[in-house]
Amino acid sequence: MTGSDEVHIHPRDVANKSAKENLTKAIAMALAVENEALRLNTQTFNANRYTALSAIPDYEELKSRARAIKEDSIERLPELIATLTKAVEARGGKVFIAATKDDANNYITNVCRMHEAKLVVKAKSITSEEIELNHALEAAGIEVAETDLAEFILQISNEQPSHIVAPAIHRSRQRITALFKEHFDTSLPLDTGEDLTEFARLILRQKFLSADVGISGANLIAADEGCLLLVESEGNIRLTTQLPAVHIAIAGIEKIIPSKKDLGTFIELLAASGTGQPLTSYTNILEPPLLVPVLNLNGRSDTRREFHLVLLDNGRMTMRADTELKEALYCIRCSACMNVCANFQAVGGHAFGGECYTGGIGAAWTIGTSGSLEKGRFAELCTGCSRCVPNCPVRIDIPRLNTAIKQRLITLSGGPSLQKMFFGNFSIVGAVASLAPRVANLIAALPAVRSVMELLIGFDKRRPVPEFGRSTLVRQYREHSKKSRVQADASMSQPRAVLFADAYTNYNNPQVGMAVVRVFEKLGIATTVSATMAEGRDAQSQGLVESAAARAVKTAAYLETFIDEGSDIIVAEPSVLALFRSDYKALLCNDTLFKKLRAHTYDPIEYLNAFLSQHHRDPRTALRGMDRNATRIFYHGHCQMKTVGAGSAAVDLFTQLGFTVIQSKAECCGMAGSFGYKKAYYELSKNVGDDLVRQIRAAEVPGTQLVIVASGTSCREQIGAEYAGRKIFSPVELLDTLIRSGE
Amino acid sequence: MSAPSHTELLKQFTASAVKAVATVEVVTADAEALNAALERATAGDEHVLLSEPDDLDPALLRVFLKNPKVIIRPTREQFSRVPTGITDAFCAIASTGSVCVAMSANYTSPMSMLTRKHIVLVDSAAIVARPSDVFSTEIHSGTGLHRSFTFITGPSATADMGPLVRGVHGPAAVHIIVVEHSHDRI
Repeated sequence: MTGSDEVHIHPRDVANKSAKENLTKAIAMALAVENEALRLNTQTFNANRYTALSAIPDYEELKSRARAIKEDSIERLPELIATLTKAVEARGGKVFIAATKDDANNYITNVCRMHEAKLVVKAKSITSEEIELNHALEAAGIEVAETDLAEFILQISNEQPSHIVAPAIHRSRQRITALFKEHFDTSLPLDTGEDLTEFARLILRQKFLSADVGISGANLIAADEGCLLLVESEGNIRLTTQLPAVHIAIAGIEKIIPSKKDLGTFIELLAASGTGQPLTSYTNILEPPLLVPVLNLNGRSDTRREFHLVLLDNGRMTMRADTELKEALYCIRCSACMNVCANFQAVGGHAFGGECYTGGIGAAWTIGTSGSLEKGRFAELCTGCSRCVPNCPVRIDIPRLNTAIKQRLITLSGGPSLQKMFFGNFSIVGAVASLAPRVANLIAALPAVRSVMELLIGFDKRRPVPEFGRSTLVRQYREHSKKSRVQADASMSQPRAVLFADAYTNYNNPQVGMAVVRVFEKLGIATTVSATMAEGRDAQSQGLVESAAARAVKTAAYLETFIDEGSDIIVAEPSVLALFRSDYKALLCNDTLFKKLRAHTYDPIEYLNAFLSQHHRDPRTALRGMDRNATRIFYHGHCQMKTVGAGSAAVDLFTQLGFTVIQSKAECCGMAGSFGYKKAYYELSKNVGDDLVRQIRAAEVPGTQLVIVASGTSCREQIGAEYAGRKIFSPVELLDTLIRSGE
Repeated sequence: MSAPSHTELLKQFTASAVKAVATVEVVTADAEALNAALERATAGDEHVLLSEPDDLDPALLRVFLKNPKVIIRPTREQFSRVPTGITDAFCAIASTGSVCVAMSANYTSPMSMLTRKHIVLVDSAAIVARPSDVFSTEIHSGTGLHRSFTFITGPSATADMGPLVRGVHGPAAVHIIVVEHSHDRI
């Protein structure tokens, strides 16, 4: 499929996301033209990363060390710049601190002019994209040859990088062939990756053999020895930094770490986190000017090597002083956050990115280096699914960073939009609707109402409004406990488990809450249901942080009373569980209370597993009599639940019960709470969802029943839209149904 | 945790290097044996570039050096044309199958990057467990740490043209000859 006929938008034209319509147009372009290549390539990196990381025995320890080194480095940055300068100069190299992009461009251009350079070979450097170095050099009449094959492609197509590690990841082999054929006017077939690579290699080999100056970036720089780390696979960095006698390296000041001996930690993390390899083909440790003899293959007669290190500020010191944007300076640009991100997998960095920085971490970088908050608008594509969080080698909480950016954008625009007010206060909408749920459901389904909703709050007409339950969980539980009071009284004096009546479970999915109650009671776990309370999930996901924090403080105080009485809190909605276990850290500003909540909140199945194991009870015995007709389950775990460590509970239980569980490989369903309901993101959300649905279809075996299970409300909505009339179960509902049909 | 034995490191190194699409052979540390291995590895090559070793005992190359196809001091033209380069490595990594090639005053680095086939010689005693060990002052005392070098892990590769392709700007093939001293086997 080539959508290029349908969507005539050049990525460069929509790179600047300060205009809202550029984001919308870029999404449409990426879905039509780039989607297939992006998904294939990012998912390959993603799968390889999981494999590579599993081979590192002390991964968590390495991450903590890397994080500590980066924190220390940014803290001591001015001192490290001085140490580094001394080390490089002691070996005869030169250091230039560039305050702005113009300063950097002028310096580099002058060095090239001094050497009467006609041709510069350049290794991949996103920092050089940031300062638009190629424009500056070309304006000075110097030819620039990008030698990384991805950058070589982009130089021809005039596109900006769509990914910080693999900048041309959005182009399929077919689209590269088409581009080369058009540009080079060749009759060669160029129909395979080998053909294309050899074609480019021969062109670039001539460039390498005649270049006057080599320009590279740097992954990291060790201050003590003036030592550069440069990671690559193609070999172009080696040729760029060693063939010409003159080497210029450009790097942001945040790349400096104190000591060469710490490079090992980063080397082990970088390749594994990025492309998912133990190491890439070449990991270069350079202390230039190098001792390697000058070969002068370019015909020059240079007698000695020369090295210039350009250290770029361009907004970084301002980021360092900004309590929130400072986090981005810890980034080592491995790209794990992009490859793991379901939205990025679908649209890549031309939509989920700015003029050169891409993905979840890209908004902070775009804002920091451009000085324009609005250019970081693509932070809206971060749904807060949180899958990047455990995969970041320097432990950056990227969703939190993006929530802060969203909040700043709201302030900049003079306050929250109606859309943000609606989705950010869904708990209140639920409370009102629950007064007359049937009427509310009817009204919400009226075409006229849907048109108004779409117009006013951007609630996409094609999405059904989540239905409100006929009666709330709290009311249903009250009825239930009246009936079972007699037999329950003795054991219920001290409830062990308190099911939190979060807004989604209380108003929309009371049946899930009641399933928890019944299953727990069946196992003899004394259970009760709390009052309902707006816990802040809705506000947090819209960037309404103040309101989320106020709700968090109230909810935490309420739940603490149960914990102090010796109870545990059960949370049926995974996004709320993640809120308690993760987001509350920042929202509460009370570490003791946060840790207490984190230690006492459980997913229902997670709690059930722990309970059975604590009492040495085999689930097969504890749940005997259960209907065993169904044997195959497709399970999609909620994104945030996986991040907070409760992702495998249902798989463990159903596997122990003898079911075959086929696990979803999708990082997120694409609905991501309110994201998929928004008109601007409907197509993107559906595209991400389709990836999941394809996996379910592939798991179906004719003549065998496949039970579809998903832990999150919005996951079930997303899947359910493709399976009209088929029940999509939450794990606990399935358990409840099987127990009851066995009785 | 006890340090892995020499035999374990060599076994792990071989497996990792093969996984990284290099080829590996282990040869006894004597000039005749190494010559035989290099003859095999360069069969069919009209000329080969050989760099003076940075760390490996030069006496081990005594026999192979007599081979007329060996070029020690290439001209510019030979550097751009001869497709095979032989260098030593000062270290090898068991967990990744990498060899560490120095950027020294010798031609080690150019011969390992301009050629299409890189044959690399490494002493089996120089195998360490993981990449971070290379930066450990306990393991590389003195000059070991204080130099520029490249961890080479398999042939050069790219996925930028769609499918994975091996052999880009650097060599398309890497053959590693591990030189084993008999007393290492104890």
